[in-house]
Amino acid sequence: MIQLFNVTKSYRKDSVALKDLSLEIGKGEFVYVAGASGAGKTTLLRMLYAAEKPSRGQILIDGQNITRIGRQKIPYLRRKIGVVFQDYKLLNSRSVYENVAFALEAQGKKRYEVSKKVYQALKEVGLEHRLNRTPLELSGGEQQRIAIARALVVDPLILLADEPSGNLDQAVATEIMGLFRRANARGTTVVLATHDPGLYKRFPRRLISLDGGQVVSDYRPDTV
Amino acid sequence: MLDKMRYFIMRALRNMRQWPFLCAASVLTMAVALTMVATFFLVVVNVEQLTQRWSKDLQVVVYLDRAPAPSALTQMVSSIREMAEVAQVIHVTPAEAMAQFRQRLGENAALLQGVDNDILPGSLEIALHAQYQQRDGMDQLLARLKTVAAGHDIHYGQDWLERFESFVSVLRLTGLALGGFLLFAALFIVSNTIRLTFYARRDELEIMALVGATERFIKTPFLLEGALQGLFGGLLALLALTLIFKGILVEIVHSLWVTPAAFSLLFLNGHQQLILVFGGVLLGVFGSLTSLKKLIQI
Repeated sequence: MIQLFNVTKSYRKDSVALKDLSLEIGKGEFVYVAGASGAGKTTLLRMLYAAEKPSRGQILIDGQNITRIGRQKIPYLRRKIGVVFQDYKLLNSRSVYENVAFALEAQGKKRYEVSKKVYQALKEVGLEHRLNRTPLELSGGEQQRIAIARALVVDPLILLADEPSGNLDQAVATEIMGLFRRANARGTTVVLATHDPGLYKRFPRRLISLDGGQVVSDYRPDTV
Repeated sequence: MLDKMRYFIMRALRNMRQWPFLCAASVLTMAVALTMVATFFLVVVNVEQLTQRWSKDLQVVVYLDRAPAPSALTQMVSSIREMAEVAQVIHVTPAEAMAQFRQRLGENAALLQGVDNDILPGSLEIALHAQYQQRDGMDQLLARLKTVAAGHDIHYGQDWLERFESFVSVLRLTGLALGGFLLFAALFIVSNTIRLTFYARRDELEIMALVGATERFIKTPFLLEGALQGLFGGLLALLALTLIFKGILVEIVHSLWVTPAAFSLLFLNGHQQLILVFGGVLLGVFGSLTSLKKLIQI
C-alpha cells in the first residue's frame, strides 16, 4: 500500500529531515512510526499525504507514484487518505456535524449521502448525540474523536495519525486507540506516529523507529 | 451540478454572515473606490457636455466700430449671407444694442440713465448652419469675413474656447490617469481586504485542502463571495453617487449658473449604471482571485 524508495528530504543544505529512507507498508497493516522529536515522523507523514515532496527518492501510494503527480491530482490522492493531528484541526465555529460533513462536501458528495455517512461515522466514535455542539463545547478526547470521524467518514484506504493521543490522558488515549484498531480491523491501513512508548507497549503492532531521519529498527511482534 | 451550485452559494453566504465586519469592510472599500471613479467620470462627462454646448452656440459677431453707409452695409450683409456657412445675419443697430443691454441689466437699468443711445457700436450677428458650428474650418470663414468686413472687429470667442478645450483635454487625460490609478488602488485595497478575510479563515482553507477538496471547489465559494460583495459595493456606490449628484453637484451648478434651467447636469444612463454595478462584481472577483492565488497551496 505504501512504498518508499531511498527517500531523502532536506530543507537546507545542512539540515536533513529524512535520509535515504526505504520501507514498505502492506495493505491493512497497523504501523507505529516512533522516534523522539525531530526524528522525522511528521515529515514522513506529510510526504505521504503530499503536503511535501521528497528532495530525492520515490513514494508509491496504492501503486501511484506520488512524487510525480501534478498539483491537480493531489486532492484525489488525499481522498484515499484520512489524516488525524495532535491538535485536531477542527473548525471551532462549525458544529460537530458540519466538521465531519466538510470532508464529504469537499469531495462533492450528495446531501443525502453526506447526512447518512456523517451520522454513521459519528455513531462509530460515539458522538452521534452531540451533532449540534461546537468543538469548543467538548472535551479534548471528544474533539479528537470528531477528527477521527472526519478522517474515517470518507472510507480511506490509509489512515495517518500524527501524535493523535499527544494531548490526551491515558484513558482517553486508550479509547482513541480502540477507534484506530477498529478502522484497521475493517481493512484500513493505519500509520500512527508517536513518541509515547506506552502506546505501542499496550497495543503492540509493527514498530518502525526513526532517529535523525533514518530507520533504526523495524520491529514486528510475533503475536500480530 | 445544481446541488453543487447551491452548496457554493450557501457557503459564500454563510462565510459573509460569519465574518460580518470583514465583509462590510470589503463592501465599503469597493463602494468608496467605485464612487470616486464614477464621480470623477460624471465631472468629466458634464464638462465635456458643457464644451460641446458652447461650441454649438458658436456665433460670429462683426462689431461695426464706424457705422458704414447704408448701401455699404447692405452690400456687406448680402455678401455675408451668400457664404455657405452662414444661416442668418442680423443687423443690430446701436440703439437696439443699448435696448438689449438695458434689458439684461434688469433692475439695474437705471444705471444707464443719461447715457447716449448710440454709445454702443452696431453689429452684425452671424448665425452659422449647424454643420459649421465647430472650430474646424472657422479660420477660412474668418479670413473671408475679414475681406468683406475690412476694418471692423470680428469676434467669435475663439481664444477662450480654445483654452477651455485644452482644459477639457487635460481634464480628460487626468481623468483617465486618475481613474486608472483609482481602479488599480481599489483593486489593491480590495484584494488586501479580502486577503484579510482569508487569513481569518486559513484553517478552513487548510482543512479543505487536507480532506481532498480540489482547488476549484475551494476557490468557487470565495469568488462568489467576492462577486456578491462587489455587487453590494457597486449598488452602494450607485446610491452614494446619486446622493452626491443630487445633493452636491446639482447644487453647486445651480449656485454658480445664472440660468440653471439652461444647463441640466448629466447623470449615468441605465447602461452606465449597469457597468458601475458590474464593475463592482468584477472588482470583487479579481480581488478574491489575486488573494486566493497567493493563499491556496494544495
